[in-house]
Amino acid sequence: MSITANEVLDAKGLACPMPIVKTKKAITNLEAGQVIEVQATDKGSTADMKAWAESTGNQYLGTIEDGDVLKHYLRKASDIEEKAETKYEDVLNLDELRNKVDGEESISVLDVRESAEYAFGHIPGAVNIPLGELEERFEELNKDEEIHVICRTGSRSDLAAQKLSEKGFKHVKNVVPGMSSWEGQTEGNQ
Amino acid sequence: MVNTKVAIIAANGGLFDAYKVFNIASAAAASDAEVGIFFTFEGLNLIHKEAHKNLPLPEGKEHFQEGFTKANVPSIEELVEIAQEMDVKLIACQMTMDVMSLEKDAFVEGIEVGGAATFIEYAKDADISLTF
Repeated sequence: MSITANEVLDAKGLACPMPIVKTKKAITNLEAGQVIEVQATDKGSTADMKAWAESTGNQYLGTIEDGDVLKHYLRKASDIEEKAETKYEDVLNLDELRNKVDGEESISVLDVRESAEYAFGHIPGAVNIPLGELEERFEELNKDEEIHVICRTGSRSDLAAQKLSEKGFKHVKNVVPGMSSWEGQTEGNQ
Repeated sequence: MVNTKVAIIAANGGLFDAYKVFNIASAAAASDAEVGIFFTFEGLNLIHKEAHKNLPLPEGKEHFQEGFTKANVPSIEELVEIAQEMDVKLIACQMTMDVMSLEKDAFVEGIEVGGAATFIEYAKDADISLTF
């Protein structure tokens, strides 16, 4: 699975505290919601990235080991996502979605988070089209199917559901709140 | 860590002491905390223009020099710059400077000079206080 990031930071060969100092600088230049890949060889950097994200309010997505290199994925905090009210009215809660996912019939789940967020854990079978790519890629979806749109907190999926509705999709549901509270099965790099 | 305040006293002047102080300070600053360091007595070496470029290792521990190079640990000069870029406040102790006959221009650019009360005023509402 390929993970795309908006920015790649090379912190290889650097000792503590340089990986987080460099990450701090690099993330300042990103837009809210964008993803950075930090490449490091400092073995303590995994714990530090998690702790740093926790104390700065950014989102730690996960780490992939590639030989000696640790690739950490972080997403810049977005205040709008945390506070925004949802506008799309046809919503489904996580329990209802879980019943459907665990049920006999196959259902269609559209995950509109960034590919790196999706890579580190998504509902089995969910299709990933990041919100920013939906405008160009909505034709990949089947208009006649019931589509369950999900993101992390319900904010991006709300925008995606509105967009799909504008494009003539009639059976769209926004799943709330989203993957941040999902307790069912997931697949992906853990 | 926004709205978190860290107050550090640096009272020793060896290379190990310098790393303890500047690593913690820059990690805290990178985590959005407000950080101030009060340099007193031998701690003044850590920001002295010349001395901070060549701080001594503890006696008998000179062999660790190799380890620092191998681990690619940044130099203290670099860490001081990084700390300043991230707005870490560096306060030199006036009384120690007087005792040692040092003027402000003996130190790296951008430091403040103050007495014990200056530090106490800064540290009175700190969330984390550390002494090295």
